[in-house]
Amino acid sequence: MSEMLEALHPPPAQVARPMPPALFLLGCGIVALSLVMMVVGPWIVPFDPGRPGPDIGMAPPSLGALPALAWAVLRGLPHAPVHWFGTDETGLDVFSRVVAASRTDVAIAVGANAVSLAFGSLLGLAAGTARPFLAGLLMRVSDLLQAFPVFITGMILVTMAGRSELTIVLALALLYTPIYIRLTRAEVLAQRHRGFVDAARALGRTELWIALRHILPNALTPALIQASVTIGLAILMTAGLSFVGAGVRPPTPEWGLMIADGSNLMVQGEWWPSLFPGVAISFTVFGYACFSNGLERYCAR
Amino acid sequence: MLFVARRLGFACLQLVGLALLVFFTIRAMPADPVARLVGMNASREAYLSSQHALGLDRPVWVQLVAWVSDVAHGDFGRSWVSGAPVMQEIGRTLPVTIELITISFVLAFLVSVPLGMLCALRPGGTADKATFVYSLFAGSQPEFWWGLLFIYIFFAVLGWAPAPLGRLDPMLRPPPVVTGFITVDTLLAGDWVAFRNGVHHLMLPVATKVFVLSGPIIKMVRQNMVRALGSDYVLYARASGLMPRQVAMVALKNALAPALTLLGALYGYVLGAAVLIETVFSLGGIGQYAVRSVLAFDYPAIEAVVLVIAAISLFVYLVLDLVHAWLDPRLSQ
Repeated sequence: MSEMLEALHPPPAQVARPMPPALFLLGCGIVALSLVMMVVGPWIVPFDPGRPGPDIGMAPPSLGALPALAWAVLRGLPHAPVHWFGTDETGLDVFSRVVAASRTDVAIAVGANAVSLAFGSLLGLAAGTARPFLAGLLMRVSDLLQAFPVFITGMILVTMAGRSELTIVLALALLYTPIYIRLTRAEVLAQRHRGFVDAARALGRTELWIALRHILPNALTPALIQASVTIGLAILMTAGLSFVGAGVRPPTPEWGLMIADGSNLMVQGEWWPSLFPGVAISFTVFGYACFSNGLERYCAR
Repeated sequence: MLFVARRLGFACLQLVGLALLVFFTIRAMPADPVARLVGMNASREAYLSSQHALGLDRPVWVQLVAWVSDVAHGDFGRSWVSGAPVMQEIGRTLPVTIELITISFVLAFLVSVPLGMLCALRPGGTADKATFVYSLFAGSQPEFWWGLLFIYIFFAVLGWAPAPLGRLDPMLRPPPVVTGFITVDTLLAGDWVAFRNGVHHLMLPVATKVFVLSGPIIKMVRQNMVRALGSDYVLYARASGLMPRQVAMVALKNALAPALTLLGALYGYVLGAAVLIETVFSLGGIGQYAVRSVLAFDYPAIEAVVLVIAAISLFVYLVLDLVHAWLDPRLSQ
């Protein structure tokens, strides 16, 4: 009986897409934390993330010892410097490196998305308003770019242009631009005959002015939601590229690179140099996914 | 029929465009493959003779014509690093990747369909919420890290899994190559020990991939299922007095058809990113071959790998799209 009622009165959109509000708050928290860490991360670390210390391959303090250590640090009692996440094979402090690496990873991801969002939305606007020939050409080009295998193409671009943070940003921006072109164009096509656009046209505004001033701001919402998904993907990709040796160069603190450095130790049972950077990636990307999902639901209402 | 021909023609055009773009892009990059091959301290003569041997002293247009005429005859040239024909090396590494990914996709699909259905039948219920959080989490995870974590737990601590050093135990003799898929070849050779060993080595990589893949697939199945359950034909089926179980089956058939297209797109993406999981488990698939070629600036190998992977992705996408169109005749008009 209840199923029949449900069939007659289809559940509203909110029920159809479950999203515990707690999850959205968690997402907001993680996103905010990642952005703050991107700015201040390397300044607040207890050890220099680039200078090895005397302790090599030291395990993190055991769970039983944690409360006493935390008490000592909080009270400002005299204590030996604590390696919260242990140290790696060269004596670098894992905690400091994980925190400092958030600048590398998050900044690359945010930068790549800012560039591709800027280019993609302008090109999408062009594709939605320009003459059919130009628009068609633009869409075919972005089709072609999307046919490339993403990861391998990123690897080729970064390696051959010289491995550095800047080339990763540019390569990712190139790979993500077609996504934004497509999204913005679809939205522009939906917006271009709305009432306020026709009103502006009746006032005698030029097409360019209408496109930039009236259509673009109203067509950006899907692209902005997409950006928070893609930032997460870009973090995964940056870490992945570094993991296979086609990303940032070794002394740089970077999560994927740290996991790669610790991977042989992991097989031998020394888990901490790889575990903690992975937890950082896992939580950050999950946070961006929750955030974007909540945004999407909020905007769909 | 016309629909198939048009799609096929478009895919071929895309591949040609892709080939040209790869060819020019890698040559426009500021990377110097000759210096990488002969070393930094090589004399000027050694550099020039090596450049001549690779054909890189010719104008780009001449190189393009030579390459296109070779590729048209099915010859992708020899690797600059190993000297072996590129096609032979791809023929050796590609089946490893295809085997891993296809098994993972099938298993992930089998796991995800019941879960997605469960969610769609009671939207907003506890099961739906839990599965939703799981799929959001699984879909946003670094698979290479999970692979390492599984190695730590199941190999280093528990000792259930074999060492992550390839497809077969180094003590075993690999079966004669027929298909290149270890599981199939060992069965064809009737070698049960090697078969069990091969499956054992696939256990962790497949588990990792299934975990990561199940996220997006569950989401996909659920969305399509919710849409199907809200449709008029399901209302009609209910009104006709079918059991809830039968109604669900009716809806499932219609929900899975559009999911196929998305699955095709996902397959191509995963094939291109297979290098991560291959590196963790040293499987020696086409992803690792791609990394090796890219890091060595091995032009013929890079061109071939990108083309082969793009061609397979387009092919899988096309086939699943055609199956979709066959299941839903409205699409082919």
